[in-house]
Formats: sequence, C-alpha cells, structure tokens
Amino acid sequence: MSIKSEVVNESVFIIHVGERFDFSLVIDFRNSYEELDEGIKQIDIDLAATEYMDSSALGMLLNMQKSLADRQLTYRIINARPQIARILQISRFNKKFDIQ
Amino acid sequence: MVKILIVDDEEINRIMLREMLKEVGYNDFIEADNGLQAIEQASTHHPDIVLLDVIMPGMSGIDAAPQIKATSPDCHLPILFITSLDDEQSLVRCLESGGDDFISKPFEKIILHAKLKAHERTRNLSLEIIDKNRSLTYFQLEVERNHRIVEHIFDNAIGQNAEAAAYFDFYTQPEAQFNGDLFLCEKSPAGGVYLFIGDFTGHGLASAIGAIPVAQLFSVMSHRGLAVGEMATRLNRLLVSLLPADIFCVANIVEIYPNGKNFTLWGGGLPRVAVKTPDQQIRLLIDSQHMPLGILEDYEFENDTQNFEIESGDTVLFYTDGLMESQHAEYGMLGEEGVEKWFTQRASVNAQLLVDKAELYRAGAAAEDDITIVLFQSQPFNFNVPVHTITPVPFDLSFHLTVTHIKDSQLIEQIVSIVHSIQGLAAIRSEFFTVITELVNNSIEHGILGLSSSLKDEPDGFIKYYQLRQQKLESLEQGDIWLTLRRIMPENVLEISLEDSGPGFAPDSLTEDDNVPHGRGFVLIKELCQSLHIDDHGKCITVRMSLQPALTDASASNKVE
Repeated sequence: MSIKSEVVNESVFIIHVGERFDFSLVIDFRNSYEELDEGIKQIDIDLAATEYMDSSALGMLLNMQKSLADRQLTYRIINARPQIARILQISRFNKKFDIQ
Repeated sequence: MVKILIVDDEEINRIMLREMLKEVGYNDFIEADNGLQAIEQASTHHPDIVLLDVIMPGMSGIDAAPQIKATSPDCHLPILFITSLDDEQSLVRCLESGGDDFISKPFEKIILHAKLKAHERTRNLSLEIIDKNRSLTYFQLEVERNHRIVEHIFDNAIGQNAEAAAYFDFYTQPEAQFNGDLFLCEKSPAGGVYLFIGDFTGHGLASAIGAIPVAQLFSVMSHRGLAVGEMATRLNRLLVSLLPADIFCVANIVEIYPNGKNFTLWGGGLPRVAVKTPDQQIRLLIDSQHMPLGILEDYEFENDTQNFEIESGDTVLFYTDGLMESQHAEYGMLGEEGVEKWFTQRASVNAQLLVDKAELYRAGAAAEDDITIVLFQSQPFNFNVPVHTITPVPFDLSFHLTVTHIKDSQLIEQIVSIVHSIQGLAAIRSEFFTVITELVNNSIEHGILGLSSSLKDEPDGFIKYYQLRQQKLESLEQGDIWLTLRRIMPENVLEISLEDSGPGFAPDSLTEDDNVPHGRGFVLIKELCQSLHIDDHGKCITVRMSLQPALTDASASNKVE
C-alpha cells in the first residue's frame, strides 16, 4: 500500500498513507483527492502506517489544501506516530491541520 | 462380479453346480477337487464365495475350511458346505470349522440361488466396511500428520519473549491440546512490555488456527512499537479478512510501560481486569469496552484505549472466560466476583493455585473452556539488553554514488537499510530517513540537476517540479555524490557529510511563510540535527545527529499522561 482512500459516512474522506511518505507518492497522492464528492466535508490523512516522511510530503499536504481552497473542508492528520508527529510539529503543521 | 470357488472331488458335481449357477447369472468360477488345491486356489484368486464338499480324499472340507477362511483375513468369506449328510453331529462340525451354511445334494436351483444371494450380500457388506476402514485409517493418519505439522508451526510461530515473560506468573494450557486461548508477550522498544491475552471462539484446531497470524502480526507490531489502539485496529482487520464469520477473538491488548505501573489497555470482551493492593484490597476493576476482534469492519471498529496506573506492589490479574465459567453443582458459575474473591484471599495467590481451585470447584468435571491466567506484580522492567543500545564498535561508512545510483529510485531506501543493520541505529530510523532524504535530494535536485525550488510556487508548480526532476534525472549523464557516515565519540553523535559534483548553489533562505510549499527541508534538518554546516557554496554539507534516542522515552511518558 502506498496510497489508499475511502469515504466514511458520506462526508469524511480518508487517505491512508503507506510506510514511506515521500516524493515518490506525488502523483498518487494528488490523484487520490482529484475527484472529491460534493458531500465531503472533512479530509483525514491517516498516517498510522507511516514511519518515514520527508519535506516533499509536507509540500504535498500543503499543495492539497491549496488546490482544494475553494471548498469548505476541515483537515485532520490522524494516527501519526511520535516521530512523524514531531516532524509535523517542527514544520508547525498544527496551524493548518488538526493533528490528532 | 462374484467369483465362486467350487470344491468337489466329483467332477459331475462341479459341472452340475456350475451349469446351474450359470443359469441364474453367475459366470466367474474357479474349481478345485481337494482341500489342499482349494486353499491354494483361494489364496491365489480371492473368491467371494466358496462351495465346499465335506468328504473328499486327502484333505476333507472340514479340515480345509479354516485355512480357506484364513486366505481372506480382513473380509468375511462365506463358505457353504455341499453335503448329503443329515446327521446333526456332522452339520455342527461343519459350522464349527468355519462354515456359514449348507447346500444339500441333490441341488435345487431356487434354494441354491437364494442362499448365494444372501451370502453375496454379507460379503458385499464386509467389502464395504473394509473400504470404509481404509478411508478412515487414511483420514486418521492425515489428521495426525496435520496435527504434527500445525504443532510444529505453533512451536515456532507462537512464543513469548522469554525475557519479558519472566516478569509474569501465568498459566496456559499445553500447546499440544490445541486450544482457542492465546497468550503473547513481547518487549516494547520503549523498554516495557506488550501483552496479548486472547480467546478464539470454539475449540480445537479450527479455533487455534487464527492464533498463528495474530502472533506473527503482534510480534512485528511490538517490535515497531505501535500504539495499543493501532494494534487493535490492525489485528481486527486481519481477523475480519481471515476468519469465517462464526470465529472471532475476545482479547486484551496491553502495553505496560517500563516503570511497571502505567498501563494502556484495549479490552474486547474478556472478563474485567482486576488490580489488588499489597494488603489484598481490590484497587481497580477495569471492564472491557469493545466487541471482540474479528467482527466489526474497519469503519465501525473502535480502537480507543483505557489508561490506568497501579502502585508498586500491586498485582494485576488478566484471565480468559474458562476460569470464571467454572461450574459448581450447587453454587453455579464462579463468575468474575468469585475469581476476584479467590484473588484477594491471600497474598500468595498464583496462577496455578487459581487453576487448582477451579478444578476443585468443578468437583473433577472437565473445564468447559480453555483457561489462561496472567498475573503481574508491579515492578519496573529491567531488561538485560536495553533495546536501544548502540553498537560499541566505531564506524566510518563511505558511499560514492555515481550517476547510476543517483538515478535509482530505491537509492535512499538502500542506504537506510544498510544503516538499519547497525545495532541500535534502528532507534533513530525515522529521523535518519528524513535527514538523509533531505540531504540527498538537496544534492540531487539543487546541486546536480540545478532545479530551483521557486518553481514550486507557480500554480501547479509542485507537480511540474517533480516532473521536471524526473526528466532531468533521466537524461543525466554525469554526477557524483560522496556520502560519509561517521560515529563520533565521546559525544555519541552520527556525523553525516555529503558532497556533490554540482557547481554549488545558494541554499534556500529559511522560509517563515507557512503557505509556501518549499523550503522546509532545511528547517527539518536543523531541528532534527544538533548542527548543520554548509560549505563551498552548498557543495558540501555536514550535519550531526544525536544517537541518544530521547524521543522514544519522551513519547512513551507522554502517552501515559
């Protein structure tokens, strides 16, 4: 698994990221949210499986928010392991994402 | 086709019998004119029915009958004596020697046919039984063989980490009696312990089979230090996809922190966890909150956990249904209260004592379900080999990466996997990955390929940047990166130096604008490393990372709060 996505309760779109979240996922990650249903109100990025992350992953996350800027969406990052949470924290991602 | 052996010293009798039998549909005959020849024919041709004359020169029918019978030891072989005798004594002797019936001379076709039909039926029944016995024996051997194989796999796949298990007093049923209970115990990377106490529905091999994948996944997850809730999610997902709907697993998944006092529990359907104080008072009872593993789909599954803290000298009791379901003819089921009463009766209660008491309570009746009991008296874990000890051997690793390696999309993965193999470095693997990825990509993208990050600021530039990177990389003809990893003592740091053959570049100014999708790499490096030096116009970068895995301990104590 590198990128998998699913819709829960018709309003939450969950993107599950694999073990490595790096630039090799640029295209897959973008494709995952390209045709988002109208009813989606929230996007969850599930990093439970993610052990490695680099700055391009951060770029991808911001890029997603940018390209969906015209929609009223809330963004959450869920299940991040301590090491990954630290990287998000260093990059002050808690300003843009609800980090659980 | 029924094969008939006709034994008579008078040829005329043999002919008459044969012709008569042919008329009623038999046509497979063998013949003998004395007892000895009859035995020989029977052992070579295996007849289904024998017609045997009583009085013959040489060996008589009565003497031959037992030996003819013996040629078919596994299957009933009917022997019908041909006789004109009518004195009772002789008839009795015929039956005693192994005869099953008589046909009397002169022969009557209708009687002869009816008798043969009857004996043909018993012969067929006997043949069927042999056939079924053969299948049964085959299946029995097959089952025994499968049991042996599974037992072997169980022995190898399911086991407690001995060092961690030494901190627990537990009772599990012998593995040879496959049961649905499972107790697993592993060290956590933080220096504590993970436990899995589970009970699959049903008994025997079918319910035990789910134990193997659970044990394997649990071991991998423990090694990686996953949170208890995440373990529950993954085990549930595994079991939902693997098991038939009627098999599921009630379980407690537990993490005990290195201090031996803080617990995280995901409880799915097992009896409540009991904690007692050193003076035999119940301190805590923690009810299970969830449905068993292997039932709910991912979206309905709840992985929230309970945290609790015990005091030094307290004892925690985990057990499966088998113990509390012990039945007494008068008092009924033992129940959770009953178990807790025994547990608090005296200080020295151990797992075996509870099992013995349950056996007495059942008054000798067998337990209806498998029993697993785990007791832990609070104490800090002090493992002989701390998980994060770095190798005492100093090292200095150099990599010279040429254009082939630079083009390899697996490059970083390979470097990381080499570094992982150094004892103790796995502890900082996530941070190391991030740092090395930033450094190497910085060299490739800005040093060798000459890309500018400002590209990413244009609309859709993020994707364009990586497409351009791909194009430039494909047509790259020359480029070198020299990477050195060195352990520096006594500071105990990992120094990473990187030099590339590019013309040098001005590193991105560190951006403070959170909306710009670039420039975060150096921020990350600065935070994850103790120091960062950029020399020779960006051609040469040196960073130092601490080898003290402070993060893991800090995160462990954070989780408890």
